[in-house]
Amino acid sequence: MSEDARWRSALDRLVDASVKERMVISVAALVLAVAVGFVIVVLAGLAASCAQKVTILGVQTPSCYDPFAVYSELFLGAIGHPERVLLGTGTWTPFDFRVASTLQSTTLLVFTGLAVAVSFRAGMFNIGVQGQMVLGGLGAALATIYVGKAVPGGILGAVVLVPVGIAAGALAGGLWGALPGALKAYADANEVITTIMLNFVAANLAYVVVSTWFTPADSSLVQTAIIPAAAQIPNLPFGFDPRNNFSLLGLLFAVALVVGIAYLLARTAFGYDLRTSGEQPEAAAYGGVDEKRTMVASMGISGALGGIAGAVLVMMVQGRWLANLPQLGFDGITVSILAGNNPLGVGFAALLFGVLKSGSAAIGFGTDVPPALVDVLRGLIILFVAMPEFFRMLGARVGVGGDVDA
Amino acid sequence: MTSISLSGITKRFPGVVANDDVTLTVEEGTVHALLGENGAGKTTLMNVLYGLYEPDEGTVSVDGVDRDFDSPRDAIDAGIGMIHQHFMLVDPMTVAENVVLGNEPRKWGGLRVDRDAARDAVEDLCDRYGFDVDPDARIEDVSVGVQQRVEILKALYRGADVLILDEPTAVLTPQEVEDLFDVLGELTAEGKTIIFITHKLGEALHAADDVTVLRDGKNVGSLPAADATREELAELMVGREVLLDVDVDAGTPGDPVLDVADLTVTDGDGIDRVADVSMTVRSGEVYGIAGVDGNGQAELVEAITGLRVPDSGVVTFDGEDVTRASRRRHIDAGMAYVPEDRHERGLVMDFDLVANGILGSQRDPEFATGGRIDWRRSREHATDIVDTYDVRPGNADANAASLSGGNQQKFIVGREFERDPDLVVVTHPTRGVDIGSTEFIRERLLELRDDGAAVLLVSSKLDEVTSLSDRLAVMYEGTFMDEVDPDDVTEEELGLLMAGQRPEGR
Repeated sequence: MSEDARWRSALDRLVDASVKERMVISVAALVLAVAVGFVIVVLAGLAASCAQKVTILGVQTPSCYDPFAVYSELFLGAIGHPERVLLGTGTWTPFDFRVASTLQSTTLLVFTGLAVAVSFRAGMFNIGVQGQMVLGGLGAALATIYVGKAVPGGILGAVVLVPVGIAAGALAGGLWGALPGALKAYADANEVITTIMLNFVAANLAYVVVSTWFTPADSSLVQTAIIPAAAQIPNLPFGFDPRNNFSLLGLLFAVALVVGIAYLLARTAFGYDLRTSGEQPEAAAYGGVDEKRTMVASMGISGALGGIAGAVLVMMVQGRWLANLPQLGFDGITVSILAGNNPLGVGFAALLFGVLKSGSAAIGFGTDVPPALVDVLRGLIILFVAMPEFFRMLGARVGVGGDVDA
Repeated sequence: MTSISLSGITKRFPGVVANDDVTLTVEEGTVHALLGENGAGKTTLMNVLYGLYEPDEGTVSVDGVDRDFDSPRDAIDAGIGMIHQHFMLVDPMTVAENVVLGNEPRKWGGLRVDRDAARDAVEDLCDRYGFDVDPDARIEDVSVGVQQRVEILKALYRGADVLILDEPTAVLTPQEVEDLFDVLGELTAEGKTIIFITHKLGEALHAADDVTVLRDGKNVGSLPAADATREELAELMVGREVLLDVDVDAGTPGDPVLDVADLTVTDGDGIDRVADVSMTVRSGEVYGIAGVDGNGQAELVEAITGLRVPDSGVVTFDGEDVTRASRRRHIDAGMAYVPEDRHERGLVMDFDLVANGILGSQRDPEFATGGRIDWRRSREHATDIVDTYDVRPGNADANAASLSGGNQQKFIVGREFERDPDLVVVTHPTRGVDIGSTEFIRERLLELRDDGAAVLLVSSKLDEVTSLSDRLAVMYEGTFMDEVDPDDVTEEELGLLMAGQRPEGR
């Protein structure tokens, strides 16, 4: 077979891979990324200087870094080293602060990942999740502060304020997301460009609004007041340490949205319209789909999910709106690609991201490996796992696979 | 002298034997037609010859030498060229640039493309084979027929002695088809060998010296075209006797269902694509629109089916003004539509047949309650269509893209006909469909008519529109030239009308 044909048939097989095959491919990619990372860690250790060279598998090496220690921190450190219980070298509870940190990132990335996935499936590329998150967070902060003055504290207050905050975040993000949707539908403006630009508009708009009207007088930072205690997502159903800024309730909400969005896409007429528009706009028009409305609605839903990410960030993690929110909106793009834009996949991809994130922090504490090298290892894993999906999407776009044409 | 000899070629794909022990011999300097229904394995066999597929068994020999092609590059080096159904040309570049692309003559020690040399080479080729092609024209400005000739030039420029053409007439107007056959004649006169793939009997008989018929991946007969009859070839293709002319009873027209008054559609450049067209289609009749493709039929149909808002005029459907109504309302009101372009419009290629079966009905209470799609019901529906319309492979979970063109068409026709419509707008219902299915689709169309549906049939196949229609309009440059009785119009008269001329005495 020629080089060309070989590429084509490989791409063919990738495009036609079943869900099970794709999961096997992902796991294999992960293993391969770790193997390559192993070598890199050892090699980087040769160049570093240290008091004591490491012994790997009982062999004295000239390297300073132990790849086993690094990857043990990355994957097991991310969940607080449960293996130490088995080895009898330490204690562990499922409520370890590292578990909380992993799940906190996972929760937030589920929202932003879903936001990007919804837009992708509708045939649009929402790069504006960051901006939608910024405004969603601000909406949630202001709504809970404002409504909080009228409701009592405690459980009753939480029952009112938490939904109010989430709804306000979804509304603010949703409107901000629907805007580029409407611009595309009615003015033919490319959503990639408009969403990127609206990120800057959102960040600066929020900055001006907060610094002008909502920053407490005694604050030197641009930030809102702390939201009412009752608006903090309660630490239910049971417990992580409140200082970890993670609530299982938040995670359950994220899981519920994963299921909800999966259901929306797969089972509802609206989801059918949305996917058809994304796959083949001409066929959607033929099938009676109102393209313009579907565009605005799917970008609105995408933006609402981004807004919810902002609301949960404020109400579970930060307790207030701060200028310069973390770049979760952009990580959402990677999460979605990693997941092949599949809502259920977003859950797993967000978990992988969460593990990598708090695992990286664990490496920093547990080993001498420099942060830059940790980033390389993280990047390797993401690259290896994302590439098969990326080529699959690419292959599907250029139209290979699926043909038994004769 | 034997130019190409394939012996015992077998090519298997997962679950399918596309070619089963096929032996084919092509004499030098002849035109050889490879005839067969969709999915008979014609294209696969030629892809084997062109080095795109490696055969599982069998040998390929060119000019008496056994060959083992790893890629089209090897086949090209052995003097074989293939012109695919979809052209591979670069639109903004000129004819000459496209012809030499990848093998450009160079100057300045290879640093610069020698455009003059390229132009001269292309002009020489045109002169030698009598092609009327301007080497400086841009591809985007020339007709499809000319583009096809550019593809042929490309193959000749690369030194092809054997040309394979995959369904070369599918995209051409009748006049362009004649021109193509003339070109093939010139090429064989110069000693070139032609193999062309077709599923049209008439073309094989008319243009080829020899015909080989494939059925289910097997060679079921090779014979000189001069000795073959239509009936014989048709029988070889489908493996049974076929009635080539459906005996059609006239319809019994009832009340008007669709009324179009003074409809005008303008394109983006302000040119009238449809100008002041009026017509009425009644229940229980087939109203045919004949004409060469591109004379406004597509725009007219889009305006009627709600995909395009006309610039002026009124479309009335079941007594209701639907001129500006959404596509959704057209569907809900009971208008079925078999579109011309099944890959872009008629099917979502990446969806399975279950999902494609509800395209247009995704909000119909039959398949969706409270916005929730009933996939079990949808699956039954798709399976019914697959069974009734003999869509192969008979699997509703197959992706639309995995079906052959004819089977895709059968599925679309099935979906639209099963809507129980008041009006069916059908454009080119049997284009690319094999004989057996063509017959079936036509019969179903007449059944629908007899059940009281109004049918608007747009087709460029003259025998199709004349035999099926109760009334027939001929469209030329956006207007109806005339409305004729298909039973007493002659093919010559239709030909003149389609060319924009009025026959004497009409």
